[in-house]
Amino acid sequence: MTVVAAKPISSPAALQRKREQLGKQRSGPAKRVRVCIGTGCAAKGSRRLYELFVEAMKESDMAVEAVICVGCHGFCQRGPIVVVEPGEIFYQQVEEPDVAEIFRETVLGGRVVERLLYEDPVTDKRAKTAAEIPFYRAQQRIVLAHNGVIDPTSIDDYIAVGGYGALAKALTAMTPEQVLAQVERSGLRGRGGGGFPTARKWRSCRNAPGQPKYVICNGDEGDPGAFMDRSIMEGNPHAILEGMALGAYAIGSSQGYIYVRNEYPLAVKHLRGAIEDARAAGLLGQDILGTGFSFDIRINRGGGAFVCGESTALMASLEGRPGEPRAKYVHTVESGLREKPTNLNNVETWANVPAIINRGGEWFASIGTEKSKGTKVFSLVGKVENTGLVEVPMGITLRRIIEEIGGGVPDGKAFKAVQTGGPSGGCIPAEHLDTAVDFDELTELGSMMGSGGMIVMDEDTCMVNVARYFLNFLNAESCGKCTPCREGLAQMLAILDRITHGEGRQGDIDRLEQLADLLEGTALCALGKTAANPVLSTIRYFRDEYDAHILQQRCPAKECRGLFRYEIDPEACKACGLCLKHCPVEAISGEKKVPHVIDQQKCTHCGTCLDKCPFGAVLKV
Amino acid sequence: MPTVTIDGIRVEVETGATVLDAARKAGIWIPTLCYHPAVSPPATCRLCMVELDRGDWKQLVTSCNYPVRCDIEVSVSSDRAVAARRGVMQLLLALAPENEQLKALAERMGVEGTPYPTVTTSQRDCILCGLCTAVCDEVLGRSAIAFSGRGPDRAVTTPFRQPAEDCIGCGACAVVCPVGTIRIRMHEQEGEIEISPFKTRAKMLTCEQCGARVTSVPVAEYALNRAQIDWQEFRQLARLCPRCRRKRTAARLTEGRTLAAQAGYVAGTKKAE
Repeated sequence: MTVVAAKPISSPAALQRKREQLGKQRSGPAKRVRVCIGTGCAAKGSRRLYELFVEAMKESDMAVEAVICVGCHGFCQRGPIVVVEPGEIFYQQVEEPDVAEIFRETVLGGRVVERLLYEDPVTDKRAKTAAEIPFYRAQQRIVLAHNGVIDPTSIDDYIAVGGYGALAKALTAMTPEQVLAQVERSGLRGRGGGGFPTARKWRSCRNAPGQPKYVICNGDEGDPGAFMDRSIMEGNPHAILEGMALGAYAIGSSQGYIYVRNEYPLAVKHLRGAIEDARAAGLLGQDILGTGFSFDIRINRGGGAFVCGESTALMASLEGRPGEPRAKYVHTVESGLREKPTNLNNVETWANVPAIINRGGEWFASIGTEKSKGTKVFSLVGKVENTGLVEVPMGITLRRIIEEIGGGVPDGKAFKAVQTGGPSGGCIPAEHLDTAVDFDELTELGSMMGSGGMIVMDEDTCMVNVARYFLNFLNAESCGKCTPCREGLAQMLAILDRITHGEGRQGDIDRLEQLADLLEGTALCALGKTAANPVLSTIRYFRDEYDAHILQQRCPAKECRGLFRYEIDPEACKACGLCLKHCPVEAISGEKKVPHVIDQQKCTHCGTCLDKCPFGAVLKV
Repeated sequence: MPTVTIDGIRVEVETGATVLDAARKAGIWIPTLCYHPAVSPPATCRLCMVELDRGDWKQLVTSCNYPVRCDIEVSVSSDRAVAARRGVMQLLLALAPENEQLKALAERMGVEGTPYPTVTTSQRDCILCGLCTAVCDEVLGRSAIAFSGRGPDRAVTTPFRQPAEDCIGCGACAVVCPVGTIRIRMHEQEGEIEISPFKTRAKMLTCEQCGARVTSVPVAEYALNRAQIDWQEFRQLARLCPRCRRKRTAARLTEGRTLAAQAGYVAGTKKAE
C-alpha cells in the first residue's frame, strides 16, 4: 500500500500532523498481514504467499486493513515468515497451502493455527509471538527495530513509526554542531569493519577545507555469508536516507551517494523507490521541510567487486574509474570523491543515526561496553541451528549468540570455531567463546568485528581448508594493483594448496607467517593488510591441524581429500552391494552376506560409497 | 619548510614534497621501480618502503608518495624497512625470475634470489608496476594500453589484446619501463615501428631529403597538433630528419647572410656604410 504524499510536506509541524493522522488511521485492532519478502523468505516463495493473501483479502468482505510486504525478520532459518496483526501472531515455515487456513482461522476468525507456530526444541512449547522465541529474546533491536514491521516501499509506514522525526528535530531545534555532539556522545563507531569513531570522521570532514562536501553510504557488502546491510537496505531504506541527511546536515554537505551492489536488486529497487518518495514528500531535495537545508542522494550500482567496499576503491568506482584503492596518506575526509572532502560510512552506521538523534547520545552510550557502544547486527550462518540475522548489544558473549540465539550446533556435533569479520577476519576457537563481542576484544583474539559476518563451524570443518577458502576468495578478489597483495596472496595460496593436498613441507608455517607479516606491513589497502588474518588466526589456534597435514599427511577433520581413508565397518555392513555398484573405479569388492572391503590402492576418495551406504557402514578414518 | 630526518640526516623540503624527494636530497638511495618523475606515483610496486617514526608508534610507508606535511623522522635502514623491501623484491623476483634489470636491482639491494616459486604467470617478465599505462594516459593522453584482469590475472594490454588504434608508436612506455619488458622493434623492410609485446605497429616517417627514418607518422602528427603552429615552413621542416632540418636551417642562414651582405646589412660589415 504505497501512498505517496500528494504534495510535499512543507514544515516539521506538517510532518508531525501527518504522523498523528497516520497514527489515528492505524490505531485500534486493525487486521494486517505482514509477509516477509526478505531475500531468505523470498527464496522460499514468500512473494507467492503475498499474492495469495492479497487474493484472499479481495475475495473476503470482512474488513482487513492490509496485506503488506515487509523486510527481513532475521529468523531466515524458519522462513517464510508471516505475522498477523492484531496479536503479532508469528507463523513460520508457511507454505502456499497454509495461506487459506491462516486467512480463515487467524485473520477472519481470530484463532491461532498452532501447527505453524515456532516450537521450542528444548521445552516443546509453542511460541505465539516473536518475543516468546529464544532466538529473539536475547536480541536488542535498534537498527532492525522496524524491519519486519513496516512496508519498505511505503514512506507513510516509516513516518507512522516516527520516521524523519529525527531529521525534523535536527533541522529545527539543533545546530549541526549539536548533531555532531550527540553522535560524539553516543560513542558510535563505524559498522563497516574498521570501527573508527563516527563523530571524529564527521568532524574532520566538516572542518576540512573545500566545497562541495560529499557523504557516501557504503552498501557494497561483499563478505561471504553476510547479509546485514542487504536486509537493512531492503527492509528499511528510509532509515538510511534519514541517517545520511542528518550526517550531511552535521557535516555541511548537500550531495550524497549510495553505492550498492547490483547483485542486490531488491535493495536497489527499494532504495530507489524510497529516494523518489522522500523527494516527493519534500524530505530530500531542495529546502527540506521548508528549513532551507538541501540534500539529495543518488544511487550508484557496483559491479560486484569485493575490493570496491574499500573506501578509496569505492570512490574511484563512483568516479567511473576502475575500482582500485589508492594510498590514504591524505584521508578521504580531506580529499575523497573528486578530490573533495568526503565522508563515507557503512549502511548500518547510517541507520543508527536517526535513533541516536531521537533518543539522545546518552541513551545509545548506555548500551554496550566501555569502548563499543550500541548494538551490532550479525549474520549468523554456518553450522548453527538458527541461521539468520541477529542484533545484539555490544558486549554479549559469543557463547550467548551461538548457543542461546543460534540454538547451538546441529546434529549433536561439537562446536569447533566461529569465523568473524568476513574474509579478513579470524577464527575463534571454543576456549574463547566467553569473550565479550566488541571491537577491541575481537581484535585482541586475532579476529575482528568486520561488518558482522559470523560463520559457525563444527568438528567436521578442517581449519586449514577454511584458511585456504578465504585466501582463495581474497586472491581472486584482490585488484592486483600492489605487489604484496597480488603476489603474496598467490604465494600463500600455493602453500596452502600444497598443505591441503598432503604435500606440505617443514617450514611452510614459518613461510606463511613471514608472508603474512609482509602483507600486513606493505600492502596498499586494508584488503591486503588484513588478508592474512584467516591464516594467522588458524595457525594461532589450530596449529596441530597444520602439523597433522604437513607431518603426517592426515586431515584430522577428514575434509581434505586424500588425507583420510574410507573404510567399511564389517559389523555394520549388510553387504547390500550398493557401494560396490556405484564405485566408479571398482575399488570395492564383496559378495552377498560377506562384508565389503575397499581396496585402498584403487580408491580415489571420491566419497560416493559414503553417500550411497544406507547403513552408515562407510567410515572416514 | 618542514624538516625530514632520514637515518639521522636532516633535510628541509617544500611542504607536499615526498619522502623520496627528501631522501634524494639527503643523498640516500631508496630502490624504486614504479616511480618516474613524469607521472604521479602509482605506488604499486611497494619497493620503496621506509619506516616512519611517529613517536609512540611506527609505520611502514611508501616513500614515493608519502607527502611531507610537517617535521617527520624516517628510517630507511631500520630492520623492518629493510625486511619489507627485501620481501617485496623476493616476490617480484618470483614473478619475473629471468629479468636481468630486476636481478641487477636485487643485487644492488643485497637480495640474493628468491625462496618463492613462480606462481602467477599472467604476463611474462612484467612486474605490473603501471608506469607504462600511466605515461600513456597522463603524459600522452592516449590510454592505448591499460590494465586488464584482476588480481593474479592482471596484465597490461591493449583493448581486447588487439593492436591498438590509439597507439601512436611513440615508445614512451618502452622508455619508462623499469625492467625493459616493453621494447621498440624496427621493421626496416616494411618501414614500421612495433611496440612489443603489444603488437601495435605504426608507419615510420622517412626524411624527404635523405630517406632516413625519423619517427612514426602518428607521432609527427601528434607533435604538430600539440605545437599548434600553422606555418607552412614549420610543417615542411617536420617532414625532415633532425640532421637535414639543421642543414636546411644552416643553408637558409647562409643564404640570408649572402643576401644581407649584398644589401650591406650583415653584422661586422657595417663599417662598409
